[in-house]
Amino acid sequence: MAGQVKDREAFQRLSFLYQAAHCVLAQDPENQALARFYCHTERTIAKRLVLRRDPSVKRTLCRGCSSLLIPGLTCTQRQRRCKAQRWTVQTCLTCQRSQRFLNDPRHLLWGDRPEAQLGSQAGLPWWHSG
Amino acid sequence: MNSVIYHALSQKDAKEFDIQHPGTQRAEAFVRAFLKRSMPRMSRQAQEDHLQRKAVVLEYFTHRKQKEKKKKSKGLSAKQRRELRLFDINPEQQRYSLFLPLHELWKQYIRDLCNGLKPDMQPQMIQAKLLKADLHGAIVSVTKSKCPSYVGITGILLQETKHIFKIITKEDRLKVIPKLNCVFTVEIDGFISYIYGSKFQLRSSERSAKKFKAKGTIDL
Repeated sequence: MAGQVKDREAFQRLSFLYQAAHCVLAQDPENQALARFYCHTERTIAKRLVLRRDPSVKRTLCRGCSSLLIPGLTCTQRQRRCKAQRWTVQTCLTCQRSQRFLNDPRHLLWGDRPEAQLGSQAGLPWWHSG
Repeated sequence: MNSVIYHALSQKDAKEFDIQHPGTQRAEAFVRAFLKRSMPRMSRQAQEDHLQRKAVVLEYFTHRKQKEKKKKSKGLSAKQRRELRLFDINPEQQRYSLFLPLHELWKQYIRDLCNGLKPDMQPQMIQAKLLKADLHGAIVSVTKSKCPSYVGITGILLQETKHIFKIITKEDRLKVIPKLNCVFTVEIDGFISYIYGSKFQLRSSERSAKKFKAKGTIDL
């Protein structure tokens, strides 16, 4: 499935913005405003063009203030146990918004499944696989 | 004065019109019966109280419904702005040299976007791609402008909002340049493109979603 031209350009732009935010933060760890600006631009573009992002990338962006989350620098990451399950809790330091992710060794993300790798079968729901 | 308006009917007229003079007793009885019929629930005492003591409401003042506060958990727009998402003044300490790696990244991105350094064919394709591309980290300079003090400013683009560019020059000075009535030059690998700022009055995120039409004259 060849990617459509517009989308590919847009995706390149998104990835460039993400890398730029990382680059800026790497140069100057204290000034997060610029990184936040880039991530906000990125989020607006993705919203406007309705682009799907990989969950591993989405998890590093804060949903409230759209800053780039780096554990130790901009956010805190703790592991908690709740109802006999292990959750990872990420808290953004600027807007105090927390995200919880389930840590289950048996759970597999959709993107990691082998069916999702094949381009032609990307649209099938999970119960369709054999 | 009253005699002019009210004139008692003489006896003869009264008989002619067959009007009966209602005595006060009869009037009162009539009124009481009427009230009793119209308001069967209230006792006579309550009715009299009502008539004599209670205030009559002439106008109604209803409480205006308080505007429902819009609760948006994802938005927080006012608070967001307050948190200074934009630049603080500290970057005055940040040197121009810190942004050079950003510029390298941008060059690689553009090269990747155009599939090659100097594809001699189709400068239009390059332009079309540049329209959708992101300009953060590019070295821009102002060539023409209505305000002469802006001409000649060169630096790395750090932020782009709806009407302005924020540029940091080699002397580590942060310059805010409005897009209106300015022509910017972007150079990539020998390709020089002019950007007419008046047509570019969009947030950078909107730019990748919008199609551009040639409208009006292109000059400053």
